Amino acid sequence: MLYSSELIKGTLKTIVLKQLENNKRMYGYEITQKVKELTKNRIQITEGALYPTLHSLETEGLVTVETEYIGKRVRKYYSLSPDGKIKIDEKINELTDFFETMKFILDIKPQVI
Amino acid sequence: MYCISEKQIDFILNDISARGIEMVSLQQDLLDHICCIIEHNLENDGDFENFYLDTISSFYKHDLKEIEEETINLQTFKNYYIMKKIMLVSGTFSAFILTIGILFKFMHWPGAAVMILAGILILSFVFLPLLFILKAKEKKDSKDKIIIALGAIASISMSLGILFKIMHWPFANILCISAIVIMVLLFLPIYFISGIKNPDTKINTIVSSLIIIVGSALILTLVRSPAGTKKENISSTQNFLINEHILENEKLIARKNQIKDAIQTDFEKSSFEIYILADEIKSYLLKKETGESKIESNFENKNVLIGETRVTDLLDSNFEKINILKNKIESYNASLPSSMHKIEINNSIIIKKDKKIDAALNDLIQIQMIALQNQSLYLKN
Repeated sequence: MLYSSELIKGTLKTIVLKQLENNKRMYGYEITQKVKELTKNRIQITEGALYPTLHSLETEGLVTVETEYIGKRVRKYYSLSPDGKIKIDEKINELTDFFETMKFILDIKPQVI
Repeated sequence: MYCISEKQIDFILNDISARGIEMVSLQQDLLDHICCIIEHNLENDGDFENFYLDTISSFYKHDLKEIEEETINLQTFKNYYIMKKIMLVSGTFSAFILTIGILFKFMHWPGAAVMILAGILILSFVFLPLLFILKAKEKKDSKDKIIIALGAIASISMSLGILFKIMHWPFANILCISAIVIMVLLFLPIYFISGIKNPDTKINTIVSSLIIIVGSALILTLVRSPAGTKKENISSTQNFLINEHILENEKLIARKNQIKDAIQTDFEKSSFEIYILADEIKSYLLKKETGESKIESNFENKNVLIGETRVTDLLDSNFEKINILKNKIESYNASLPSSMHKIEINNSIIIKKDKKIDAALNDLIQIQMIALQNQSLYLKN
């Protein structure tokens, strides 16, 4: 099953940050392939979603960019900034909390009183 | 694995930018990404052009430009929070110092003007513009944006108008009136009609519209219309004219009491000098204010009216006559017999030069009047 892009949109920043945490530095294509591989094709990050997200993480100062020339073209490697390393736990906690709430509100897990 | 030539890289880059991607860093990202896909998925002898076109069309829904638009959107979203924070802080701050400033003004404590000035300036040039930008960004419909822009313009000119009003600066009435006109005749109808259609905003719209109408009406009571100003000016000119007539009569009476060919005493001389000097200052001020150095009884037809200009705005820097008059009055007062009334100048135009012209002319006539009457009394004794 392929998840809809609507569902992925809100979690994309966290997914990208987590990949960067695990793999030190990555370029865009690599991130999409890695996520595809890890989720067995269930999450396919589109280019139209990935690059705006990466650029916005860059403006927020959560990722840093290094450029390298591959022949004539430039490859941009993204990695976590010190701020990003702090932010990642916060993002994951927020998402975990969100999942719990979703489970409750959608009656997947009855509330235990 | 397909090997991409430099020529093909140039082709891709040109195509990306022709499709509307202008940010260089985004071009680099996309170029590398496309190259990776081609290298990994295209056979050595594959058709580059068709494969490229298929790949690029999988990047977007309508056109490639939407990636750049989304990027800019997300980047400004970050500023959005900063702007929102500045808006809230500046709003709170300006409300706070404005309140304190008004309290100080009531108590006649120093610093009131500075606080009110800062409060209103921050309100008009930081808080309201930011509020407008943020609200306009939230709305998609251009009609909503126009409503917000009109509201912002009206409220900025309203707050500046009130500032000008309490600071006694020129153009306050014009600012207030144009703010009210924009608010009531432009903003309110569009806002009301568009808000009342939506059941969710209906009650809110009615309540806010009522508040706007009541608020505008209250502000209108602070503002004088051009017709009202003219009426006021006619009445102060009329007042001045009557005072001049009284003064003239008083002068004739004083002359009757004078013994012909008698040698003038020093006292008579100095009251005469004061009278003449005050007359000259009056003509000077009148000339500056109305263009005529004397008010005739047909002033209304000729539209020669005394307004509300402050004397400090009328005086040339080299105009010394007021100071000369001050010295003369001081020595006059010192030589005056104790039974007579001194010419009081402490609260008059002689000392307080920022008075309005109508009050200043009145002061000068009073000075002349006292001088004349003292002289008549002096001669009778």
